[in-house]
Amino acid sequence: MGHPVQGTPTKQNLVKIHDYLWEVPKSFRQDMKVPARIYASARMLDGICNDRSLWQLVNLTTLPGVYKYAFVMPDVHEGYGSPVGGIVAPREDEGVISPGLCGYDINCGVRLLRTGIAYDKIKSNISDFVTALFREVPSGVGRGGWLKLSHKELDEVLCRGAQWMVEHGYGDEQDIVYCESGGMLSGADPAVVSDHAKKRGRDQLGTIGAGNHFVEIQRIDEIFDQDAAFALGFTHGDATILIHCGSRGLGHQVATDYIRLMLHAMPKYGIQLVDRELACAPFHSPEGGQYWRAMASAANFAWANRQLIMYEVRKAWISVFGESLAAPGLVYDVAHNIVKKETYDNVKLLVHRKGATRAFPPGHPEIPGDYSRTCGQPVFIPGSMGTASFVLVGVPRTMEEAFGSSCHGAGRVMSRTKAKEIVRGQVLKEELEAQGIAVRAGSLAGLAEEAPIAYKDVESVVDVVHRAGIAKKVVRLRPVGVMKG
Amino acid sequence: MTPAPYEIRGHTADVRLYASGKTREELFSHMIAGMGSIMQPALYEPRAEELAVRRELVVDGPDITVLLVDFLNEALYLSQMHREVYRFANFLALTDTHLEAELLGQEVDMFEADIKAATYHEAQVTQNKEGYFECTVIFDI
Repeated sequence: MGHPVQGTPTKQNLVKIHDYLWEVPKSFRQDMKVPARIYASARMLDGICNDRSLWQLVNLTTLPGVYKYAFVMPDVHEGYGSPVGGIVAPREDEGVISPGLCGYDINCGVRLLRTGIAYDKIKSNISDFVTALFREVPSGVGRGGWLKLSHKELDEVLCRGAQWMVEHGYGDEQDIVYCESGGMLSGADPAVVSDHAKKRGRDQLGTIGAGNHFVEIQRIDEIFDQDAAFALGFTHGDATILIHCGSRGLGHQVATDYIRLMLHAMPKYGIQLVDRELACAPFHSPEGGQYWRAMASAANFAWANRQLIMYEVRKAWISVFGESLAAPGLVYDVAHNIVKKETYDNVKLLVHRKGATRAFPPGHPEIPGDYSRTCGQPVFIPGSMGTASFVLVGVPRTMEEAFGSSCHGAGRVMSRTKAKEIVRGQVLKEELEAQGIAVRAGSLAGLAEEAPIAYKDVESVVDVVHRAGIAKKVVRLRPVGVMKG
Repeated sequence: MTPAPYEIRGHTADVRLYASGKTREELFSHMIAGMGSIMQPALYEPRAEELAVRRELVVDGPDITVLLVDFLNEALYLSQMHREVYRFANFLALTDTHLEAELLGQEVDMFEADIKAATYHEAQVTQNKEGYFECTVIFDI
């Protein structure tokens, strides 16, 4: 873990806004253009002040054109430019777009499926289903997928995202309705995605890779909001399936290419930053425009990837349960590493979410009609393999104070190297199985890196956004099966 | 005291790699070895003549630090494209802004870790008082 560096706020520098919101005033550092805000409980602050998270947060407030404030969600942890859990929104007219802030896994995100069947009825088949998932969803580093695309087809995927997959039989029209942005950002342009990026991603559609990406089967074990749960089609005890993945090597290379490009371009625009990893360019510049189109292409690749993984999950489902049970339906798909064009206070902004989730309230035109009329946009907060995950929904207050955003996960507290030192993958697998969680992992070392002990308590993270009034808890999901690379 | 050629250090979510060298060439080569060991730990330290895979690359950058990070990212791309892990680098040329290198490595079936990229976040090539070149690079995992 990195030690705090000069220019990092301590607890003494924080001004309390309310019990779950704290502010670093603009006067804290000369280069700050706006204040920085932290959603956290008082108890969480010691941990947050212990690494470079707040230094990285303050750095976000120095970006040209930054609007109102930069902030972090309670799952914040140290990143490599932005803290993970960071949100900042430069103005579209005079602000910048930053590939380093968006991060390497462009449109990493999660999608949740409802099975419509009680876990107890399929309990005895869960182990077989996880085995089938491991067979159908290619995983591990360096393992390619089965879908082979021509150059032209890959370019079409970059333009049309999940919609391309549905048009080619890997899903149905309803899947598109329940994706953020319809599973496709407009403005994508394959011509600004490098050959390196296309080659890195070409055989990776429908693959999950490794790291913290997974497919998890869960059961709904607590309902907090009956009306919202009903609107989302959840019944207590039902099984759900969560997919976590992003844009794979294609997105990683797009970020690498454009951070490099912008590092070279920044002097031309007179931009100086504390951290080169936040490399950026004015949105209305050739470099800014190119990155926007490349980022949209990579985001579309990620939506296509999650759509194809869902197709594989449905195939695994049918191989175990036959046609007698309906294939799992999509609840929603949300991005948590992305730049979006959104308007707040009648100002057009470029909302950068790095490890944070969009969380629009009921009545918002950009969410599916049935959710808009009832509960608002669902938000999924995966915990660790051994704990719980949560479904939340957006509420109006997040539009007023958090650029329509919420948290995205439990948040790591322990390094991968430390986790591997103190946790043995085989022992963890046995412990999880003793808790009734079926586990299939390509790498036991990789499993140990993702041990529950390496993460914050997801319940306390979710409680902060719930109590701060920027999202509302709907249900809790307990894991019963996990597959990862 | 001679610093370690490379050392993997903790980072909350990613991996921090420190490397050093008596020369810039040695620093760059140790960084390659460190990145290779993150991707696929070597069962033993192979000698250069045991490494059958050779790849050449040319990189330009505005300064020595950016050059190092860009070099690692280019090697990462080659690694993933060809399913290879590199353990050494030889240099035909290495200035503050330009390098021509040959990577020496091995083919692998799979990688243990999925490195997304080498980042510029904490990277700064410096020379310590004993004259060793040093740098720390955070890899996004």
